[in-house]
Amino acid sequence: MTLSPAARFLLVLAVLTAAALLLPFVANRGLVFLAGVVAINVVLGMAFNLLFSTAGLLSFGQATFSATGAYAVALLLLRLPDIPFLLALALAAAAGALAAVVIGFVALRRTEGVYFAVLTLAFAELVHVVIAKTSFFGRNDGLTGIPRPRLGPIDLAQGQAYYVFVIVVTALLIACLWWVTHSRLGRSFRAVRLDPMRAAFLGIDVRRRQLEAFAISGACAATAGGLMGPLTSIVSPDLAHWGESTKPILFTLLGGAGHFWGPLVGAVVFSAVEYGTRSLAGASDLITGGLLLAVVLAIPGGLLGLAALLVARLRPNRAGNQPSPPAIPVASTAEGAAR
Amino acid sequence: MIADLPSLLFNALVWGMATFLVAAGLTMIFGILHVLNFSHGGFFMIGAYVAHSLTNWSAAMANIWGFLAASVLAGAVIGLVGLVVDRAVFRRLAHVDGAYVLVATYALLLVCNGFVKLVWGLNVVSASPPPELFEVSFIGNLVLPHYSLFVVVAGVVVFLALEWLINMTSVGRLIQAIAIDPWMARLLGVNVGLIYSATVIIGFALAGLAGGLLVANQSLSPDLAGIFIIQAFGVVIVGGMGSIRGAFLAAILLGLVDSFGTALLPQMPGVLFFVALAAILLVRPRGLIASGRLS
Amino acid sequence: MTKLTRRALLASGAGTALALSAHPRIVVGQTNEPIRLGVVTPLSGPQEFIGSFVKNGAEVAVDLINKAGGVRGRPLALEFRDEKANPAAATTVARELLGMGINLQFGTIASTVALAYGPLMQAENGVNLTCGAGSEKINHENYSPHVFRIGDGTYRMRAQARMMAEKFPDVTSWTGIIPDHEYGRTVWAIYVDGLLEFYPKITGKQPQIVDPIIVPYGSGDYRNFITQAARTPARGIVNATYGGDAATFFQQARPFGLFNNRVLMDAANEFIVANALKAQVPKHWTGTHWYYAANSSPISKTFYEAYVAKTGQKMPMGWAGEAQAAVAAYAAAIAKTGLKGLTFDTVTGARTIRAEDNQAIKDLEMIQIEPDAGSDVGFKVSDYVKIPGAGVIEPATPGKAMVLRKPS
Repeated sequence: MTLSPAARFLLVLAVLTAAALLLPFVANRGLVFLAGVVAINVVLGMAFNLLFSTAGLLSFGQATFSATGAYAVALLLLRLPDIPFLLALALAAAAGALAAVVIGFVALRRTEGVYFAVLTLAFAELVHVVIAKTSFFGRNDGLTGIPRPRLGPIDLAQGQAYYVFVIVVTALLIACLWWVTHSRLGRSFRAVRLDPMRAAFLGIDVRRRQLEAFAISGACAATAGGLMGPLTSIVSPDLAHWGESTKPILFTLLGGAGHFWGPLVGAVVFSAVEYGTRSLAGASDLITGGLLLAVVLAIPGGLLGLAALLVARLRPNRAGNQPSPPAIPVASTAEGAAR
Repeated sequence: MIADLPSLLFNALVWGMATFLVAAGLTMIFGILHVLNFSHGGFFMIGAYVAHSLTNWSAAMANIWGFLAASVLAGAVIGLVGLVVDRAVFRRLAHVDGAYVLVATYALLLVCNGFVKLVWGLNVVSASPPPELFEVSFIGNLVLPHYSLFVVVAGVVVFLALEWLINMTSVGRLIQAIAIDPWMARLLGVNVGLIYSATVIIGFALAGLAGGLLVANQSLSPDLAGIFIIQAFGVVIVGGMGSIRGAFLAAILLGLVDSFGTALLPQMPGVLFFVALAAILLVRPRGLIASGRLS
Repeated sequence: MTKLTRRALLASGAGTALALSAHPRIVVGQTNEPIRLGVVTPLSGPQEFIGSFVKNGAEVAVDLINKAGGVRGRPLALEFRDEKANPAAATTVARELLGMGINLQFGTIASTVALAYGPLMQAENGVNLTCGAGSEKINHENYSPHVFRIGDGTYRMRAQARMMAEKFPDVTSWTGIIPDHEYGRTVWAIYVDGLLEFYPKITGKQPQIVDPIIVPYGSGDYRNFITQAARTPARGIVNATYGGDAATFFQQARPFGLFNNRVLMDAANEFIVANALKAQVPKHWTGTHWYYAANSSPISKTFYEAYVAKTGQKMPMGWAGEAQAAVAAYAAAIAKTGLKGLTFDTVTGARTIRAEDNQAIKDLEMIQIEPDAGSDVGFKVSDYVKIPGAGVIEPATPGKAMVLRKPS
């Protein structure tokens, strides 16, 4: 039975969502909480992947957007307790999009490639410092006591209601990102990534597309970040630290950048490894770093890339097999030919 | 503040030269390989610990020659590590997107942190300057610790040595050529891969050397990498990635910013650095010296 | 609040539970299973060094209690998790422990984590004991009935101010080296509060408070701040930088002779700076959570000997004592069914938990460290002071910010 890509995607999403929703019945509260955090991380990874694999932009400042969303929701829920929660999330998304456009506008002006990445890192650290030093944001201590609000008649503070909400919203965000990636807009992003000059000749406004990609990524990351506050009940400047910006990149490369579900696989596997080594404490730096290094060096296509290779090997000459897209984004000619 | 002006200027110079020592290797590797090596701070840290262990190893090392020898040895050791890293990481990831190398260098940074904790432990360590550099001179209100003078001199010497290497030697000119147009250089028969490896080794060796020279500049702890990372990146970005002269100028400039920040904004220490960084990036996103050339 | 029945306790199999009314009570069932305590403390990252003392101290304390027969005939068991000094990571592992039925936790060092614990434990029926977290908000504006500070709170700074008035009555002008974050500012504000109360009371003189020097944290170069500090007219300096920052500051300050004719009061670095600088360390006083050599009670001596036997460390730092106090608090609370108002014995002597704000009243210890080129660690402890907490602890104002004296 051959399904259209959209149907296949929805099937996978439905299965994953169902599995996530069944988790509270089989696992303890702590693991359920962790699953909520992982779900948010999946969206952050996919928001990064939209920029990286689809639009060809390496952003090293994704933490800015998730922190923007987290702080926006926290401030709204604490200062305006009667605000409808969905409105707060929408405002967080808007804040993320705005921040993305502003940073993107400045960073894209005369730089590209790794220069651009470093600029996003610099601006991200600037935002981090500003948050940590401003009383309005609670300075180093951050903002505590963020409530889980009501959603109309539903009280999200009861039982696992908020976890269910997180799963539903992240599933929607994933669907949204899938739709963008496979839409005409997504195709123009890819055109810009593969050959900006040719895209420009074809009449595509390169700068505008890049900013659009940035805005969408920022909005999704901010919405996901906004879910974090009521989940953990605190937001702190750590959320904007540059180490947090590396996580979406890690998840994407670990899972496989060339695959839509790569960041999900990466986020789940990484969290599983962190969870599994949590009592080994002191050696955690060595283990995490070593593992990451091993993956990047040995399987640059990520886990899904590896899986795709294995599958291809198992059915070599099957008729109708489409050649799979390159598992790893290959370096542009200028840099690739250098070595 | 006027009374403090000589101190502010001198401290700016010390900060600048210390940061330049750390940033030199970083900007070099970036200029040639277009790799921003996150682990640079980690290897600087390991270099410092190695030099510290060497000077403590025997009483014969407790003088300025021992100190310098330990720094050079630390540089050599880290340079060798650079050779391994080049083979194992940079070469393997040369043909894939730059993101992979960045993640790999970040992973290396984690490994460096873990390694330091494993070998040297968690506690804070403080190294004294060698006896010859222990004293202080005074010019009016200006306090001139001899070790601080040493750091300034070391920074200038390393800068001049790198300038000589890049501009006066044939290896240096090859490196410059490759920085501008690697494809053409390869066509002309240059062994580009070898030069890349040499650059990595030199960059790493500079990190180790900086660690040794700066071992008495601040305390040592497994957090040392994180402490220098932001200021080194700032200098590299502002100076123009790949430009040694740019890094040198940016180091002095940002040192002055840091100094005057403490005088002008005493309630918000460290903020002026970021404001200046942002301002410079808005005006010249590619840095002060952004021609793509190494020097 | 629901009160868990004994049947529910036995059914859950966890063996310990919290019965809550207006005052959290600790009720354990009559089984032979160990009573499990969760320890959430930094086991990685910049505070891993301090977390290691909490971990070892907790293990030693539990061993000693189990050897003596346990609590109500049941042994204690510890479950460790890494706090990573990051509130989100800490609350994740705290929830995991709660999900495992481990409602009794301790080990918090970071103030941000301590503040996050309040709402969490309130929602999940748990109890947390902090082991050195310094924020004054814990027992004031962010007070929660489920979080207890079983060690000294910020009144340690008041005790230090008092001691300075007693030992150095002529040092009446004070300034501070204050890192630019909440903890730093708190230390300074409360120290000033103590100076403004105790100097007039004890010496009859009004202290002169000189504006503190605010320094960045995590910096590798403090020379500009040292230059500023060297010009201060103040004869006394209180230092709130800690760990590697403090070591860097003191190291870079040596050529400036910053502390030559001044009295240096270090808030809480214990041996960290002295171990780093060895014979180069400036003579200074520092607060300690527990000084093993000056506490001669059997409980302290036994604990110290067991600690040395287990870790080989002859100079354990006070956080080990805080961990012992936390274990002792739970042991006593389980035996007597409550933490509020509890008096229990620890390595530093008896402590009483004030019922209104869950803050322990304990004796404060301070040591004087000076360089000693002859000793193998490069320094020696040349003086020691113990100040009873009751005389310096601030009034209880749960739910409200602390009211502090300010210089006019």
